[in-house]
Amino acid sequence: MARQIPSAAQLARALKAFGGVVGAGAVFADEPDRASYSDHFAPDEARHAPAGAVAPGSAEEVRAIVRLANDHRVPLWPISRGKNFGYGGPAPVLRGSIVLDLSRLKAIEVDEENGTVLLEPGVGFFDLYDHLRARNIPLWLSVPGNSWGSVAGNALDRGVGYTSYGDHAARICGMEVVLPDGDLVRTGMGAMARSPNWQLYKPGFGPSWDTLFCQSNFGIVTKLGMWLMPEPESMLGFDFEFDRPDDLGWVVDTLAALRREGIIQQSPSIGNWLRAAAVMTTRDQWTDKPGTLAESVIDAIRKRFNIGWWSVQTRFYGPLEMTEATARVVQKAFAGKPVLSTKPARWVRGDAAEGSPMTGVPVTFPLANANWHGGRGGHIGYSPVLPAKGDLAMAQFRRTYARYAEFGMDYHASFSMGERSLTNVNQILYNKDDPAMMGRVDGMFRALVADAAAERYGEYRTHIEYMDLVADTYDFNDHALRRLNERVKDALDPNGVIAPGKSGIWPAAWREGR
Amino acid sequence: MAGRFRWAVAVAILVPAAAHAETPRAQPDGKALFSQKCGMCHRKGGMGTVLLARRIDPAQAELEKRTDLAPDYVVAAVRSGIGNMPRVPRGELGDADLDVIACYLSIKPAGPKAR
Repeated sequence: MARQIPSAAQLARALKAFGGVVGAGAVFADEPDRASYSDHFAPDEARHAPAGAVAPGSAEEVRAIVRLANDHRVPLWPISRGKNFGYGGPAPVLRGSIVLDLSRLKAIEVDEENGTVLLEPGVGFFDLYDHLRARNIPLWLSVPGNSWGSVAGNALDRGVGYTSYGDHAARICGMEVVLPDGDLVRTGMGAMARSPNWQLYKPGFGPSWDTLFCQSNFGIVTKLGMWLMPEPESMLGFDFEFDRPDDLGWVVDTLAALRREGIIQQSPSIGNWLRAAAVMTTRDQWTDKPGTLAESVIDAIRKRFNIGWWSVQTRFYGPLEMTEATARVVQKAFAGKPVLSTKPARWVRGDAAEGSPMTGVPVTFPLANANWHGGRGGHIGYSPVLPAKGDLAMAQFRRTYARYAEFGMDYHASFSMGERSLTNVNQILYNKDDPAMMGRVDGMFRALVADAAAERYGEYRTHIEYMDLVADTYDFNDHALRRLNERVKDALDPNGVIAPGKSGIWPAAWREGR
Repeated sequence: MAGRFRWAVAVAILVPAAAHAETPRAQPDGKALFSQKCGMCHRKGGMGTVLLARRIDPAQAELEKRTDLAPDYVVAAVRSGIGNMPRVPRGELGDADLDVIACYLSIKPAGPKAR
């Protein structure tokens, strides 16, 4: 693939013009700057290396930069905080793009009474958490396993968390967006100036645009409305352990029914033994043998952490009368089934802080799993969506497990239960300092995508390197959705300045190289 | 996104409860800046603390407890990355703020009363 990227002179002129808007101190184009905006998990950072970065301090500056990008015909790659590790971090799809770093935009407006927040893209989960705690505002976050990143950016990329507000994109209510020509629009009720309903009523009047700015390159979100969970009176739940790989099937069927009926309102994630081991330990503590881990090693890991082959945590939120009733219903659903162990979880208002993402506390320690192999580690996410059916989950597990073995990698996966679907989240852990291993990752990833596509399963999200590969699998009527996306793209962004290649959507100017 | 894993195990061992929230962020002093920009990974239970505990004396795995940090070393680690720590761009943490943090981490009172 050889796409024409802007010349060095063209980029230099654009960066100088950006400096006129934001000040020279907010334009970053030295070699160390370019490296700092690259994907540090990537096998080859150069493939997606940016030409530099610019960090505006207001939506007005974003608008001015976008207009200049059109004048200079240079592509921008907007990031909120750039911590989307496993999916590309801050790096652009198109090498030579200029990163538009929104991390300086950090305004937070909480509406405590209505349980909403309006925030700018630079606000991280820790920022929002500290903001709420410092003011004793009884609202809870839903956080992802790596909470270093942006609340808005994570929701826009359809990230997920652990509470009943864990479908983050579904909690978006109203946006402010800079369009590719520099126009500024507010969606939903925000389309009416000074509306008190912007963060309260999602659809607005006429077409709803919020979802069009998720995982897309149609605009730059400068403000995002979200609903937050009022602190519940209680959180109850169970940690279930299961002994055999084959238990996955009936566990999925049991949980799927509870999810469909709304008994369980968060997304329980059924994960294997490596989730704990990869965060708590390194591989060399268990074995010095390459290739997929032996049964004896799996047994040792399970014994050390006292866990099953699979583990899942369910949680229920609300008044104690309701969570206790829910606990009884869930217990009944698992009664008589081969559960290895059941551990109840219980937090009631007034108890000491529970301290985990299950109560919306942001964390970063799960990122330690990148150190599983020692050396400079990383991972890539492979996350196909399938129906929430036990037999299909088992088939997906067996197929994928065989691929891990074929490519000599350690199986690291979970099945996250949506309301009607199941997402098979895999983090393929690797060691950047092991060239032989790194040589296997690309082939394995492509095989996994092809396997899923053969079953007609698509990924919900993917790494910048594979956006075209995954977009290709969405193939109804000879890729009619891509044609639609690119018609919209060309109409809104005729010069193709916003995030060329995001989600496989290429503006006309760059489409040639696909 | 780091994926999901079994919180019960992790919480029991690492206990990260709100460790980062202890400093108000109004003052742009070293401690406040460290808390705001680095605390999520480099205070109790953070990714950096977990990983450093594998490489150095666990009692000094939290950077604020280190007694051997020179400002230049802190700046180099932040800008170049180190091990699994990614490079932190200047858009997220400007040079002036980084210098304040580097000084804060290097001028630690010796002995147990630190922090």
